[in-house]
Amino acid sequence: MENTNMLDSAVLDVRNISVSFGGVKPVQNVSFTISENSFTSVIGPNGAGKTSLFNLLSGMNKVDSGEIIFRGEAIQSIHAHKIAQKGLVRTFQGAKIIRRLTVAENLMMAVQGNPGDNLMGFLNPRARKSFEAKAREEAMRRLDQVGLTKFADEYAGILSGGQRKLLDLSRALMADPKMLLLDEPFAGVNPTLVEKLLTVLAALRKEQSITFLLIEHDLETVMNISDRVIVMADGKIIADGLPNSIYENDLVIDAYLGSRRKDA
Amino acid sequence: MEAFIQPGFWIFVLALAGIYGVFSLGLQIQYGVGGIMNFGHVGMMAVSGYTIAVLVIKYQWSFWWAALLGVVLAAFLGALLGLTTLRLSGDYFAIASIAFAEIVRYWILNSDDITGGTQGTLAIPNPDGFGGYTDQPDVILNWISDRLYPIIGDEASRDLSMVLVVWPFFFLFIWISSRLQKTSWARVLRATREDDDVPRSLGKNVFRFRLQTLIIGSVFGGIAGVFWALQFALLAPEDFLRIVTFYGWMILILAGASRVKGLFIAAIFFGFLYGATRFLEFWPLSLLSSPERAYLRVFLIGLVIVLLMVKRPQGLFGKRQEMILE
Repeated sequence: MENTNMLDSAVLDVRNISVSFGGVKPVQNVSFTISENSFTSVIGPNGAGKTSLFNLLSGMNKVDSGEIIFRGEAIQSIHAHKIAQKGLVRTFQGAKIIRRLTVAENLMMAVQGNPGDNLMGFLNPRARKSFEAKAREEAMRRLDQVGLTKFADEYAGILSGGQRKLLDLSRALMADPKMLLLDEPFAGVNPTLVEKLLTVLAALRKEQSITFLLIEHDLETVMNISDRVIVMADGKIIADGLPNSIYENDLVIDAYLGSRRKDA
Repeated sequence: MEAFIQPGFWIFVLALAGIYGVFSLGLQIQYGVGGIMNFGHVGMMAVSGYTIAVLVIKYQWSFWWAALLGVVLAAFLGALLGLTTLRLSGDYFAIASIAFAEIVRYWILNSDDITGGTQGTLAIPNPDGFGGYTDQPDVILNWISDRLYPIIGDEASRDLSMVLVVWPFFFLFIWISSRLQKTSWARVLRATREDDDVPRSLGKNVFRFRLQTLIIGSVFGGIAGVFWALQFALLAPEDFLRIVTFYGWMILILAGASRVKGLFIAAIFFGFLYGATRFLEFWPLSLLSSPERAYLRVFLIGLVIVLLMVKRPQGLFGKRQEMILE
């Protein structure tokens, strides 16, 4: 009985995962547990293995060893698209939007269980069209949330960098995630927009009970919104705790500033 | 130049345009929607054309049943090509697809017992042991001509019958394909054209979408092979050289890869270019012999593709904006 309870509160349980590409070992023996409806940030310097970790969690790359348990189910060896279908949805560094689809189409593409995605659905136009209308409605609602309504029927390729970030986030939400993996959503975004994104995320957490795991470069940015911060360097977790406690961690300071103090 | 004012010339152009048009419909959905660069499309046409010839001549099948099996085999081959090589990324798949069509052609060339080898389908023995020829395509087309004769007299020709068979199908397929391209299935496919990772991360099985697209395109290639067999009755391995694939590509690029509805106009333009070169008898082209002039079409087609790429990369009917988005 106790075991079940534990599973219920842990959305994601990462057990000792490692991966190597040739001589490079971007993720080594990483373990952590993410509890339901929490907001965790993964920080670390360039090359720490943050994105590699996301690639493993989302199934884009496969682990060499270890287990990834998502909502009670081992997912380390199943296809990326199936992981997304289970509700573990990721975004990419630098907002990958589909330029030659319209902004609304970018969102509508993400909807799960669309009968029109299946070739057999071609033979059932009525089901297809009613689903499509609903998808469009939801897309417009999402666009309204982030202030992109007026671009709905423009090619997404005309959006600015910041607008692309907003679209990328909205699109991930359209996929009905239980847990979102956001890869540097604030990189290269101006401070005003960072504030806006943070507000959107905070609101989502309240309204939709989504669990967040987010990669960020800069601890400052995610300080207030995070319940917990995991610090990575050289493929390993070097610190894990409340945001404030991270500031005082010597290992973290070393990782970011180099180990000058030891030399001195 | 008189040739160009004869109705017969234009009917021939239309017959050719219809066959190549259906052929290029396959490339259109593969490349224009799915971004799959298939340079081996001619292989599908060869497989279905030869399937028909062998079944009809050697095993005395009816043309239509043989045609059905030809298209099924082309689809099957598309699936085989996809399952083995579609996981390769863009350029690598393009190269593999060329090799695939060449394998098909070499197999036909070297399997004398089945396909007649270098001599073409004439060398396929029929059950009486004689050289293979089937009058089925003639019977089908003449049946139509006979019915047209009372109405239009001497203008009723084999080519005209062919046009009347091919073009309704061509328009039907354009319509079906354009409907298909409005579905959310096609939307996902367009996304895979730009970036595999995005649809994958949103729960879409990218490989399934691409494989389906390759098979649908192969079906169009196979159907073009049926029309080819109907038009020419005799097939030879050199009918299915790589250049045929690029004829299809020219039509596609001319129309604009993402615009299926413009395809028929581009197909007619191609048919004209293909059919007209041998009739260009003015100086200095008159210095060349007729077969030499026929090769001009290859140059002309190359020239058209280059000019389009420079001046109008979106094709005649494409949207320029789609080409410049970053």
